[in-house]
Amino acid sequence: MTIRNTLRDYGQRYRPRMACLKKAEKVLLEMQDPKTGVKSQPQRLVITTIPHAITGEDIIAWLADRFQIDTQEARKFGSMLVALGYIYPLQDHKRLVVKPDASLYRFQTPYFWPTQQWPVEDTDYAIYLAKRNIRKKGILELHEQEQYNRLHKWMNHKWDFIVMQAKEQYRAAKERKKPDRVVFDCQERAYWVVHRPPPGTVSAMDYGLDRRVDPNADEAKTHDFYERIMIFTQQSIMRPRVKSSVSIGALVKYCATYNSHDPFLSKCLPSNPWLTDDVTYWTLNMPNVEIPTKMRVERWTFSFGELLSDPRGRDDFRLFLKKEFSGENLAFWESCEDLKWGTAATMREKAEQIYKTFLARGAPRWINIDGKTMEITVNGLKHPHRYVLDAAQTHIYMLMKKDSYGRYLKSPVFKDTLKKAICPEEHKFTDAQLDQNAKNRRPSLSPIILRQQEQEQRAKMAASATVDITQLCRFTTPVPHLAVYSGITDYPSANASPSLPFLTHTPACPSPISVALDSTSASERRAETSEGEGEGNPQTRAPIGGNVSKPRMAFSLRRLLKRGCTPSTMFASLSPKCPSAAGTSSRIQPISPDQPTQAPPRRIGNFFQIKVDIPPECRIYPIESEDEEEENRAASRSGVGAKEIICPWESLTPQNGMG
Amino acid sequence: MNRWRRSVDELAARRRQQRKCERAQEALSRVTSCFQQLATSLGSSADSGFLRDEMDKTRALAHRLCSGLSHHLVRLLSDCASVPSGVGNRQVLERLWVLFLSVTENFLSDLRKTSDLIGQFPLTQHGRPSLVKTGCIDGMVGVAARVTSVQVPWLTLEEEPSPDLTNHITGLEAMLSEMQLRVPVAFWSVESTQPAWAEAHGEQTEPEHSLEELMEVEVVSNKMAACCQPPCCSCMG
Repeated sequence: MTIRNTLRDYGQRYRPRMACLKKAEKVLLEMQDPKTGVKSQPQRLVITTIPHAITGEDIIAWLADRFQIDTQEARKFGSMLVALGYIYPLQDHKRLVVKPDASLYRFQTPYFWPTQQWPVEDTDYAIYLAKRNIRKKGILELHEQEQYNRLHKWMNHKWDFIVMQAKEQYRAAKERKKPDRVVFDCQERAYWVVHRPPPGTVSAMDYGLDRRVDPNADEAKTHDFYERIMIFTQQSIMRPRVKSSVSIGALVKYCATYNSHDPFLSKCLPSNPWLTDDVTYWTLNMPNVEIPTKMRVERWTFSFGELLSDPRGRDDFRLFLKKEFSGENLAFWESCEDLKWGTAATMREKAEQIYKTFLARGAPRWINIDGKTMEITVNGLKHPHRYVLDAAQTHIYMLMKKDSYGRYLKSPVFKDTLKKAICPEEHKFTDAQLDQNAKNRRPSLSPIILRQQEQEQRAKMAASATVDITQLCRFTTPVPHLAVYSGITDYPSANASPSLPFLTHTPACPSPISVALDSTSASERRAETSEGEGEGNPQTRAPIGGNVSKPRMAFSLRRLLKRGCTPSTMFASLSPKCPSAAGTSSRIQPISPDQPTQAPPRRIGNFFQIKVDIPPECRIYPIESEDEEEENRAASRSGVGAKEIICPWESLTPQNGMG
Repeated sequence: MNRWRRSVDELAARRRQQRKCERAQEALSRVTSCFQQLATSLGSSADSGFLRDEMDKTRALAHRLCSGLSHHLVRLLSDCASVPSGVGNRQVLERLWVLFLSVTENFLSDLRKTSDLIGQFPLTQHGRPSLVKTGCIDGMVGVAARVTSVQVPWLTLEEEPSPDLTNHITGLEAMLSEMQLRVPVAFWSVESTQPAWAEAHGEQTEPEHSLEELMEVEVVSNKMAACCQPPCCSCMG
């Protein structure tokens, strides 16, 4: 039994709401106890004395004592309380940390405590800024000025209210006694430092997406609640069970393997960015970095899943597979992932694309799966959904895991990567340097930009995809060019006329290959029986422009070569783009609708790889209406009978007028 | 002649109403800001029965102002809608409307927070959570006085009893939604009369110390206090 790495499993992550707030409040209230709480002292100011000030070291000592933790952890805990806004510093009010010396802090009043249910309003912030403006006569900090202008613009309709309220609040505050005024001003200022932090600081209030349900709220025990518990228990019982020795063994093995890779349990090289504010670790471990770190490469050896889930590992594996000419497995697996996780709108096209590219008879990147799985998949593709390719994907995954993965780990590609992998030195920062790092914190690239880059890269890869020639068969599009370049003349078919369904191209790509493809798509289908009579018939049916995606035809390359014309001109003349072609080529027979033929696929061995602009689309469409399937089945039965598994919709539909 | 006279009277009456609304608006603003000042002491060392009473009184006053103001504004705006003249008047009324809604929303959020805090820090129980030592000790007398100085600009003949906190909240929410349904006012079309940064040059009568100056610590006494801290810890705590 193995334990999967859940790091990049794209699963739903609960972003727990800040359940810590309720807990922090409890701690805060405990600190208030006159006997067992934190010792407080008066703060002496020039004008007055204000009670209830506490020192940083007292806070830390109390926390360490109460929770039985060491000083460093108590210090971090105290800093968290300050960052959340429950305690505020009296000196250096912008840095929300607890200093382990005699610097003074004070408790925040409950009105200004962070709450979860009432979000912090911009209106209140605008009023605060207006008040500050009044007090400081227009001298605000830079980020406050920016915020002020922004709010003035967006809240213009409320602005009169804001100014009026600011003035009133200012006057109301003046009614209080001087020490209390000072305290209130400090409290308000601290509140806004927490909730509208100056740029470049980290806010403890960031908590990600909101959950639908408040984990702090008590759930009402309704009928629905109990029903959910029952369903959950039933499903738990139905799950397959494992002996505890086995599962514990798996846990132990997992811990032993991943121990040195866990950033909590062992050191993070060069340094943990969350602790030292130095992002070298993240830059060294970017998804598409050239040279990975040694730890990362070591992770790939743990399991196949690890290798695949790391983008850099996957790249390496892809390179290895390319050298072995079995890249289609990984490509198929990735396409299945794309289908599973993609948008619902694109699912149908994606499924079609995958079928044409990988599964269809004669597909350019045909994958080798067993007959039963193929049958299931092909049947499922009639009504495609997100998980229709699951069986095939699993098969290919296991294939790669059992076969290619082992070879990869012994391959020169992997050994090379391992040799080149870097092992960075550990950072040793002094306190001053840590402070400097904290000041220089910058936000990383926006995820929108990252996603765009990812998409560009994917498009580039798809565009430059090389077709694996060992997979080619006579059904494959580039064959005519092979015929041109490598001179294959051998078509050992005796009786059955080899009909080559050519792959169509969308009219949108005007490359020479695509022109050829178009032309082949436009060419007439040659019937088996009409072969003899065909020569003299001058009729050509030039295809009618629009519906390039639908025409199907068979073309005999041998016949083509016999006539001695170069394929390209022939194809060009048949191209729908060449309207004058109708008259010129006289050698193509019209399709006789009643005799579709289909010869068994043949494989051509060839070691050249040619570039195609876009993975060529097979003319075979899995998703068809029922009548066409029937038609085809009938046709194939009556046709020349090669008894093979023909996909019901993989047919040569009669085209009337090449519409 | 009579019709003209009547319309002038109507206009005059409407203008009087409008001025009353403006004064009520200012009063409401004052009351809500005082309420906020009082609310900041809830749960702290300055919390007391007196504070809670003052808050109730303030709330009652605000309630009277709110209900009266909403009533008048709705009537004025619906009248304005029927009378085709006075577009400028309508703009003023719309501004008042937006002001009123903003104040009420602000007040409502304060009320909600208050209700949470009162629930969290009940003063009467024995096993109550200890109050937070925030450094405030004032009884908020000044603020309370400010509240009582506010005058409601219209006389209410029958005094309806002021609602308790939860009912007040629900009542205000209902009132807000009802108002917005009844009179269609596009509040983004209201522009502020004040340019940005204008309030900075208004207020000051006496020179104000900035917070930093006020917070200046007595350096000398602290040093002395530090060295003789251990024995007289008790007198400082």
